[in-house]
Amino acid sequence: MSHALKLGASVLALSLAAGSAMALDEEFYRQAGTEFAGVTLRGVTESTPPSNYVREVLAPRFEELTGIRVDIETTSWDQMYDKAIKDMEAGTGIYDMVYIEQDIVYAYLARDFLVDLTAALEARPELKAPDYDEGRLTSFADYFRGENGNLFGMPMEAFIKTYLYRTDLFDDPEHQAAFRERTGHDLAPATTHEEYTHIAEYFTEWGQANGGNLWGTTAQAHTGHPASWYEFFESVAPTFGVYDWGIDPENNYAASVENGGRMNSDEAKAALRWWLHLRDIAPPESVQSTWSEVATTFAAGRAAQGLVYGENAAWIASDANQSRVVGNVGVALPPLAEGVLAEVEAGEGYIGYYDGGAFGLPVTSTNQDAALLFMQFMAEEELQPDWAVAGSRITTTATYDDPQVQELNSQLGGYFDMMKDQGHLFAGAPAYPFHAQVREATAPIFYDILTGSIEPDAGLDQMAAKAEEELTDLGYRN
Amino acid sequence: MHSKTLGWILLAPTLLILFLFGVVPFIYVVFVSFHQWNPFGANPNMVFNWANNYRRVVFDAQFITSLQVTAAFVFFAVTSQLILGYALAQAFMRDFPGKSFFRTIHTLPLIMAPIIVGSVWKLMTTPSIGIIPNLLSNWFGYDLNIGQSATQAFITTVVMDIWHWTPLVTLTMIAALVSLPPDPFEQAQIDGANRRQIFWHITLPMIRPAILATLFIRLMDAMRTVDEVLMLTGGGPGSATRYVGVHIFKEVFPRTNYGYGSAISVVVLYLTIVVCWLMYVGLIAPRNKGKG
Repeated sequence: MSHALKLGASVLALSLAAGSAMALDEEFYRQAGTEFAGVTLRGVTESTPPSNYVREVLAPRFEELTGIRVDIETTSWDQMYDKAIKDMEAGTGIYDMVYIEQDIVYAYLARDFLVDLTAALEARPELKAPDYDEGRLTSFADYFRGENGNLFGMPMEAFIKTYLYRTDLFDDPEHQAAFRERTGHDLAPATTHEEYTHIAEYFTEWGQANGGNLWGTTAQAHTGHPASWYEFFESVAPTFGVYDWGIDPENNYAASVENGGRMNSDEAKAALRWWLHLRDIAPPESVQSTWSEVATTFAAGRAAQGLVYGENAAWIASDANQSRVVGNVGVALPPLAEGVLAEVEAGEGYIGYYDGGAFGLPVTSTNQDAALLFMQFMAEEELQPDWAVAGSRITTTATYDDPQVQELNSQLGGYFDMMKDQGHLFAGAPAYPFHAQVREATAPIFYDILTGSIEPDAGLDQMAAKAEEELTDLGYRN
Repeated sequence: MHSKTLGWILLAPTLLILFLFGVVPFIYVVFVSFHQWNPFGANPNMVFNWANNYRRVVFDAQFITSLQVTAAFVFFAVTSQLILGYALAQAFMRDFPGKSFFRTIHTLPLIMAPIIVGSVWKLMTTPSIGIIPNLLSNWFGYDLNIGQSATQAFITTVVMDIWHWTPLVTLTMIAALVSLPPDPFEQAQIDGANRRQIFWHITLPMIRPAILATLFIRLMDAMRTVDEVLMLTGGGPGSATRYVGVHIFKEVFPRTNYGYGSAISVVVLYLTIVVCWLMYVGLIAPRNKGKG
């Protein structure tokens, strides 16, 4: 056998092996499903592109194979939590799957709301799909592991909130020349806050002088919705070196500088002032923008750059029916204060938000075994590429290399490559079981800062004090 | 005796449902209001804390602020609805081309779910994108930004509520007006009374029960408004539209502050009853007493 033939045979064998690894074991699901004839699984999740894909594509396909009906209720973020928590708290058992965003999982684990998926599958090996392997999941799955290292949620979406910019504007020679003349620098994705501000100011002024439909930056600055709180604490403050909301879990959950926290530190105050300035030169709708509206603003071509949740990146970059900037989207790391990147690479913080969620199985579910099947089905390799393209989400490592995903990656300016190679620089929400409680306690003060009723510095002081008061009330702080 | 027993039997299902879904939950809310209970606290169990939640309500600046803005919201919204509703009812009492069409169109907001109303108004009022800010800017040079201006946000929520609920008032007013006997009006006209006198001395006293019933319904509804406002402004900007319903929602659901949220709910229920009782005493009781 010649060398070329050997090589060809090896490639063919590898392809077949890879192909068989990717193939969905339909026979297993058909047989496993017979035990659950007539069962209907009910899930509640946030209405996002990945969740809508579960409802519209995965659920019907699963039902076709197993005969198990899957009703996925997609609703608003607030309503989703409201319904899930009430169901699990009251033990009514309405839902067999609940969406657990990375920021709430610690609260659910603290309350023992969720089934240990790893242990459940070990206890019922006959329900375990032959090719199911937790090891295929990306490291994002670690956010859904309990203290015993077992999986308590099946990741279904994961993305980084990243810096998107308009390549058509940044590459335009006229803009490049004008920007250089104005600032003395080249027009390129910002690496520092100062550069970002210069770019934002330049495009906002240019936009106002040329029809008024372009601004220099987005801002997720709703004055009555927690989206603005999140933008600041999860995406802006970390770039100034303020991590975990400025609360120190190792120091009696201190939030104020006085007690050892950093919520009202000089860095946090500088971050807030910087962001408020950007808000002032962002499109007017920014004061009513949550995560969805920011994506819409960018897709409408109304902003030259911005921090946008990755779940929207795919449709912004590739769906001409929804986006006016198809083919003109670049991606970069967020701008950082000096020393932050080194700090993060040393493992002491993060530069932005690694967002995402999983489907958890409530202990109150009355169809736990059938739900376990669906959980594994969601992790099937064969289903991942289409799902990744539809919802710009990746939860298994092999998905990165799929040709479809690679093609979209090019359209997205290397977004998936960034997620794969630099995802470790981003982090999910801190492991706080009191996530929503501290957020809601401090948010009204934050909204007052946004409206100008309170000065930013004084506002952060008040927020730090309020956070400590809430943590004391909740019993976490002595 | 037989008919009395039958009466109770026929009433039993209603009473049972009322007890299960009205009385029991109310008692439970009162019970919870005397506990510290946040399922995501270090101690997730209910801990009896006497009347501490009620004491906290009194000194809660956010709650006091939400009460103040709610009072203003209720006053402007309900008053406007009554005046507009009556005016529209009078208009619909007359014949004009396209009357049926306009009457149908006019009642459409009434059948819309509050959450949809909030969404529609959000789309219409989003700064620089919505149709209303655009028209106001193009026609009058007025800059409407309900995400930034507390006053504009407040007025917008009032206008939205008026748009949504005025048709209800119109329908009840029409029902009241068509049921009025013609004799007193003919007599007044023969006696030379003008339209203003007829309105003040005949129409208004005769439709007073309908006005008061509508007033109470709208008052109680307006005091517990949540969905529309939550969707439109989220209670913002700042606390400008954080009405008590929105405040309770945020305390009880996202913050899972069940004990304290229950105490606020009980206090708001009490205040609603007091307001309605005061109105009853001021508007209905004296008249009934006079008749006696």
